[in-house]
Amino acid sequence: MIKKKTLLACSIAAIMTISLFSGCGSKASTDSTNTTSTEKTKITLWHYFDGQQQQKAMENLAKKFNESQEKTEVSVEFVPRAELTKQFTIGLVADKLPDMGLVDNPDMASFSAMGLFADITGKVNSLEYKEQFFPGPLASCQLDGKYYGLPLGSNDLALFYNKDMFTKAGVEPPTTYAQLKTVAKKLTVEGTTYGLAIAAPKNEEGTFQFLPWLLSTGAKYNEIGSDAGISGLKYLTDLIKDGSMSKEVINWTQNDLEKQFVTNKAAMIIDGPWINSTIKTDAPNLNWGVVKIPKDKVYASTLGGENWGVIKGQHEDEAWEFIKFSQTEDIMNEYCAEFGYIPSRKDIAEKNEKITKDPIMSVFLDELQYAMPRGPHAKWPQISDAMSTAFQESFTNAKTPDRAAKDAQIKIDSILK
Amino acid sequence: MKIKHTSEFLREEREGYIFVLPALIFMLAFVGYPIIYNFILSFRDVSVMTISQEVKPFIGLKNYIEVFKDPTMKISIWNTFVFTIGSISIQFVIGLALALFLNLKFKFAQPIRGLMVVSYLIPMTVTALLFKFMYSTSGGIINELLMSVHLISKPIGWIISGNTSMLSVILTNSWVGIPFNMLLLTTGLSNISYTLYEAAQVDGANVIQRFFRITLPELKPAILSVLVLGFIYTFKVFDLVFVMTNGGPVNSTELMSTFAYKLSFTQFSFSKGATVANVLFAILFCVSLGYLGLIKDEEVIG
Amino acid sequence: MKKRVFNEKQKNIILCSIAVVMACIMLFPIYWIVVSSFKTNAEIFASPPTFIPKVFTFSNYTEQFVGKNSILIAFGNSCKIATSSMVLSCLLAVPAGYGLARFKMRGKKIFIISFLVTQMLPVTLILTPMFLVYKNLQLLDNSLAPILSDSTIAVPFVVLILRTYFLALPKELEDAAKIDGCTTFTSFTRIMLPLSYPGIIMTAAFSFLFAWGDLAYSLTFLSTPAKRTMTAGIYNFMGQYGIQWNKIMAYGVLLVLPVVLIFIFLQKYIIGGLTNGAVKG
Repeated sequence: MIKKKTLLACSIAAIMTISLFSGCGSKASTDSTNTTSTEKTKITLWHYFDGQQQQKAMENLAKKFNESQEKTEVSVEFVPRAELTKQFTIGLVADKLPDMGLVDNPDMASFSAMGLFADITGKVNSLEYKEQFFPGPLASCQLDGKYYGLPLGSNDLALFYNKDMFTKAGVEPPTTYAQLKTVAKKLTVEGTTYGLAIAAPKNEEGTFQFLPWLLSTGAKYNEIGSDAGISGLKYLTDLIKDGSMSKEVINWTQNDLEKQFVTNKAAMIIDGPWINSTIKTDAPNLNWGVVKIPKDKVYASTLGGENWGVIKGQHEDEAWEFIKFSQTEDIMNEYCAEFGYIPSRKDIAEKNEKITKDPIMSVFLDELQYAMPRGPHAKWPQISDAMSTAFQESFTNAKTPDRAAKDAQIKIDSILK
Repeated sequence: MKIKHTSEFLREEREGYIFVLPALIFMLAFVGYPIIYNFILSFRDVSVMTISQEVKPFIGLKNYIEVFKDPTMKISIWNTFVFTIGSISIQFVIGLALALFLNLKFKFAQPIRGLMVVSYLIPMTVTALLFKFMYSTSGGIINELLMSVHLISKPIGWIISGNTSMLSVILTNSWVGIPFNMLLLTTGLSNISYTLYEAAQVDGANVIQRFFRITLPELKPAILSVLVLGFIYTFKVFDLVFVMTNGGPVNSTELMSTFAYKLSFTQFSFSKGATVANVLFAILFCVSLGYLGLIKDEEVIG
Repeated sequence: MKKRVFNEKQKNIILCSIAVVMACIMLFPIYWIVVSSFKTNAEIFASPPTFIPKVFTFSNYTEQFVGKNSILIAFGNSCKIATSSMVLSCLLAVPAGYGLARFKMRGKKIFIISFLVTQMLPVTLILTPMFLVYKNLQLLDNSLAPILSDSTIAVPFVVLILRTYFLALPKELEDAAKIDGCTTFTSFTRIMLPLSYPGIIMTAAFSFLFAWGDLAYSLTFLSTPAKRTMTAGIYNFMGQYGIQWNKIMAYGVLLVLPVVLIFIFLQKYIIGGLTNGAVKG
């Protein structure tokens, strides 16, 4: 004899379980918003853009494509950035993948090496505008001489500066390392303002921010232990030592930098065009400008932006059609504007007046020719990790810049062997 | 202790199995496979370069040797122990104190006990972000408060300084874990018969004697469960540390769980990640063997 | 030693005051998250920090209820998954806890250690193989997947805690029930369960909570955003390029509110049960 209560509980559980199955089943079939004929091939795209505007832009792009032809229907799925890497790797193992994926440009090489993306060298070479791509973005789609994707759009890093603080101190925006050092020191007010702020967490974002300082000395991405490389690391460490840069940078993200900038806690920051609209919202009265990152030997910046990739073994041709569609001038300009990106193609970017005539965006465009990809190398994440360890050790004084850089170089050499 | 396997015993045993087996089978079905999977994974070479191959090369103990050569491994093992023991000590002591205190009969006891639970209810990611925010060196509320009561003169770099980062994550983890300890110990306290206390009072025992001679011994099973479960859960903690400090600055808060995650999902060295996870597993396994040893035989056979 | 004499009322006041002070210290972060949820992004980082928002910004809350990513849909999903997981966990684990406490059997220690063992791997490393399992069971993108996985968090926990709980309950009642003709099963359902309901409610609450707060499982196994739980919503505010602190604080408050209310409500039952148990020597 079972007690009434137990029976009730069991029935509730049973009903819920049944409702789950039926609920889920019907939901899956009503997922697609289109009730067009089942002739169209359905393909899915994964991306990690979380901003409302960016998500709408992706959906808009898909909608335009779907309306422009009868063969294929693209549906867009958002996967949070941190999850996307996991989902791709789990998907590889479990064989459950979308048809197209958007990845951050430094990750493309690793995913291609893992067999995620299809080799589309032939398709890319057949494009008449192949030469129009900026060298950096296009290089990030390559691995061992083969192409695995096309750039979606690019951005890079530049120096944001507080015009009012500069006028008050009577200084001009710096163009060299030496000038930057002086200006930063001059603008530092103990307890209130730091001259310069960068983001140096121990992850890819930190390496992204660190690279210009390495590349500008003439060292390549895998040469942090060279004399040039050490000097770059030492330069930044010295800025912390003389008080112009806060030690807290080791924990700041690029968004934290924006907060420091708008609350006047940092006179200059290194950041990218994605914060432009946020600055305008947070501090509409702030008088600010952008210049190229000051150089040591050469101008340098790091390449940001994502690449389209066609997943291997699924609907490769249909996916390629979608990617080609996104390359048309109007479409590209439209979605790049919505994303806050610069088109990765010289011919399109230089004709786009919204970019060339804008005092802020034109700097980022100028900087783009100096923006270097990270690698590209399939083992980039490990190289990146060695570098971020090095600058964290140096900034926190755990090791001297010399020692930290050399230790990182040993690791990098063994990774690249 | 030999038990005669009478038919009476066998019948009781069978009934016992019926009660226990559904849960056990459920767990082994869903978690057993992942454990075996990770075990096998650690003996193969699965990384960014090999994952596309059909058959992943079998390399025996090579992963283990390489992982232990990495200085980060020893640091993470040490950090994980420090983190766990530090958190458990604080959580348990304060949790017990609160359980005892709020068990007294005064007006606010029940509502406040209910409110205290809130810190455990917040998802770890939100807690991690909240504390990361509060621990900010310049402008963070914790520093501001400490400075305004003149306990410190300069802001402390809670999570940017290697000296204080471990303390910071331990404090946050403890904050989360105190209600857990408190609640479970309260349940345990509720089972202690009041007559025991009355008898002791009649015999002239004071508060301290009552605590050590009655409360603690009666509470022993609950305490052991809380400690062993707390140890296992804390040893595994990932979200909190990953979001707050990402294992930094440098390696000062790198735990085995964050290290394994980074190896697997940031550097795509899946086998190495599984290797670190297995070492973590092995350590916890030894700990639970210790727990088993402490459970009195009488309790088990009952 | 002078004997200090406090009357009941004074004792009450002293104890209450101590309790309130402790609560204030422990709950200060909660206060901070609530206050921050009403600030604008700029004010959150103002130096010195403000204890009461200068401008009460309700938009951090209202924004969360509109649009495709409305928190209400996610709330429904969380409720569904957490409740189901709680029911499943209790159905499996309560008998198991009882069995381990009351019955003589061989291999008991092996059972206990098996339950513990299933807890020993970090969640992130269980994801891939579990994904494979669900794929083979065709349960991907089905709410049943996180329900099952969340139960794997709760079940061992409930089993071990209830085991110690049942151990502490007097055996005499069950023996009496047996004499009266109850089978093992009926003595369990008719005598033990009602007696032990504070413990059961406590553990049901924990298993609900584990499922409610779970992020990894629901995010990995549910690919359709409309099926995801409230916890997954945190990524709406943790951008690639930054964190919207004020919205995250508001989101955190919304996430916790239902559970807090449930706990406060359940407190009455737990207190009733606990004090009953103590007095009934």
